[in-house]
Amino acid sequence: MNTLTARAGTSVSNLTRARMPMVATTVLLIVTVTAAATLQGNFFTPYGMTANFATILPIATVAVAQTIIVLSGGIDLSIGTIVTLSSVVTVRLMDGGDPSQVPLALAAGLATGAACGLFNGLLVAVLRLQPIVATFATSFVFGGVALLVLSSPGGTVPAVLTGGYRQVFAYLVPVPALLLLVLWLAWRLLRAQRIGQYLYAVGGNAGASYASAVPVTWVRVFAYTAGGTVAALAGVALLANSGSGDPFIGNELTLGSIAALVIGGTRLRGGAGGAGGSILGAIILTLIQNLVFFAGVPTNARELVNGAIIIIAIALAGLLTARSERAGRSEGRTA
Amino acid sequence: MASTAFLEMTGVRKRYGGVTALDGADFAAEAGTVHAVLGPNGSGKSTLLKVLTGVVAPDEGEVRLNGRALRPRGPRDTAEAGISAVYQELSLIDDFSVLDNLVLGVEPRKRGVRDRAAARRLALPWLERFAEAFGGRVPVDERVADLDPGERQVVEVCKALVRQPRVLVLDEATASLRRRQVEVLFDVVRELRESGVLVLFITHRLAEILAVCDRATIMRNGSDIRTVTIAEVPERDLVELMVGELAAAESTESSATDEVRLDVDGLSAGRLHDATFQVRAGEVLGLGGLQGQGQSHLLSALFGALKPRAGTITLDGETVQSRSPKQAVRAKIAYVPGDRGSQGLALGRPILENFALPSAGRRAWLGIGLSRKRELAAARAVAERISTRYGSLDDPVSTLSGGNQQKIVVGKWFPTEPRVVLMDDPAKGIDVRAKAELFHVVRELAASGAAVLISASDDRELVELCDRVLVLFEGRIVDEVEGDRLTEETLVSSAMHITEADRAVATTATADTDPAAPEREDS
Repeated sequence: MNTLTARAGTSVSNLTRARMPMVATTVLLIVTVTAAATLQGNFFTPYGMTANFATILPIATVAVAQTIIVLSGGIDLSIGTIVTLSSVVTVRLMDGGDPSQVPLALAAGLATGAACGLFNGLLVAVLRLQPIVATFATSFVFGGVALLVLSSPGGTVPAVLTGGYRQVFAYLVPVPALLLLVLWLAWRLLRAQRIGQYLYAVGGNAGASYASAVPVTWVRVFAYTAGGTVAALAGVALLANSGSGDPFIGNELTLGSIAALVIGGTRLRGGAGGAGGSILGAIILTLIQNLVFFAGVPTNARELVNGAIIIIAIALAGLLTARSERAGRSEGRTA
Repeated sequence: MASTAFLEMTGVRKRYGGVTALDGADFAAEAGTVHAVLGPNGSGKSTLLKVLTGVVAPDEGEVRLNGRALRPRGPRDTAEAGISAVYQELSLIDDFSVLDNLVLGVEPRKRGVRDRAAARRLALPWLERFAEAFGGRVPVDERVADLDPGERQVVEVCKALVRQPRVLVLDEATASLRRRQVEVLFDVVRELRESGVLVLFITHRLAEILAVCDRATIMRNGSDIRTVTIAEVPERDLVELMVGELAAAESTESSATDEVRLDVDGLSAGRLHDATFQVRAGEVLGLGGLQGQGQSHLLSALFGALKPRAGTITLDGETVQSRSPKQAVRAKIAYVPGDRGSQGLALGRPILENFALPSAGRRAWLGIGLSRKRELAAARAVAERISTRYGSLDDPVSTLSGGNQQKIVVGKWFPTEPRVVLMDDPAKGIDVRAKAELFHVVRELAASGAAVLISASDDRELVELCDRVLVLFEGRIVDEVEGDRLTEETLVSSAMHITEADRAVATTATADTDPAAPEREDS
């Protein structure tokens, strides 16, 4: 009888433990949204929603891309330059504003992202280079190629994209928010596949996965390729938001994507977390930046304050996750 | 003739660096039998079966299953050929639920999407079959990380069975199982044999071989020595074949002195309740009882890895407050963990470094400068003392066999001249010969004046090695056994304390003044 109640206790704490990172993220989200709504007068207006989601979508998309890779036990420091490279390829192909070129240009952009990801994946999974170093190196390759494709800011994005990006449905639902929802649904679909499960398995314990007949190499290559493809989507979102091309447009997103996924509760060494949390993490991260702006922090101090708040957010998310994991481990030993 | 065998392996060779693991081994087995693969640690039996399961690629040799050549490039190929393995090192994903682990790699799908209902239908029958091994429950949705080692091993077995294998490899699968779990497993193994499955079984427990195996192949030094039918060979001959030239168990002489080294009073930590006992210098004190009754927690608490709720620890007359393993090491307390892979060794690092780690500080010049020459000399001295076989001290520890690895885990503490040595089931999964050598090392530690506390899942080990044994049940010390009473029978009946409550009370009443008199809990 004693063991029964103990068991019941364990399973209850299991539940809360699994949800712990999500709880931390949700609390952070509520805090930042409340603060943003207070400080930013037009937050819940069509204009405010559109402006916010227009900035959130690219970083959230890159965060999802990075999450796929990190879950599988890797990391991609070149992801920002993949965003850049695929966006400049896209903008070069649809320059001139002819809407009929748009599908081809988008396809070429996605193919570029996929190819970059595949390249990273082969380096890491087949040649077995350290992910951090390998993707650090390829970030210069992709960034360099981007400069060759478009040497200085320029090119115009057809109005179909820029206009569509600013549409608002049902008064308060901007198109970028809908796209974010589509992104999340696509993630859920991926998660429901075998490959979705294998991402977690390989990131959780690659050796055990290999022994369980999981195609570890292929899963890793897939993660990087899928990540590159999703990063290319972020490139398109940036184009639609800014209206023109820029050979440095996405480079800064790399570390932002990692911060977002950590805030969202994904474990950096892989195997635990999810893209849903990363999307929330990206929202939190963007709102923090807006807050610093709307709170009237002097321009030169913005970076500093911004960084300090992000540290607090990451620490909060990290502490809760670490505590729940530690609890899990010691309990595992007791049982 | 020979080619009619269901499974056939011929001329298999494999070298790891300077160590030959397999030296032209031949092996054959028939479907519908339980075939034991026996031999000392490092004899190549694990490697042989890893070649079969595709985890290790052989340098040479051929594998034929059902007449067809098998050239696996990895576990995927062998899984397809119907070979499933239960490994010594677990192949489970800690963060996954039991269900997700059972179907990992073979997830049923419906329209491209994972079908959880079908996965459940696939896995549930096996979990239900093993319910008794899980203490009566069916832990489908529990996280594997929350299960105890024995339960994880059962999950591992279920995982192999879900794949409906034609060949099932059980590599040391019973080492961390409790008696009841082993019984369920053996029932299932017998059913599998009836249905024509070949079960390959590596174990060091003679009783298990006699209980369930039909045939046995004995390996030594990387090749097969003999294949026998169990029923036709007397038990003593089997032991001789397994052990080789070394005598099975030497009776050890006590080196215990009268000086009390460690005095524990009312210690409670984790699962452990109110433990009071003393250990003398040079004494080997065993911790017996069923698995998971608080033995590990007692050792962890003494080492400062687990925070005590109450009680005092006195070492040589001084009160110890080890709040961390580091302080414990400074107080000259050494700890040998049960899980050598994750706690006892830096597997990827050279043998030399592993030897040197706990004692590096004391050989360092001015506390910082390490001399390679001095490190080498120190490591060689220890390696010789515990007779470890290795290729080069610069090879990674992972190139050694399990038994030799475990000797390093123990041996690395020698240069620190420990006053207390804590050992958590150190002989788990190592063969008779390595075990005898390990015990010799333990006795040497005791002879040098250390007080040794050792837990073991095998009662025979305690009888062979210990001067005195404390029996734990549900976190309490329920019996103390020494002298003529120290036999396997006494330990087993004491461990079953609750079910034989009356008898246990009777025995402890006659035993001399045991400070921790059994407090019975109503169950």
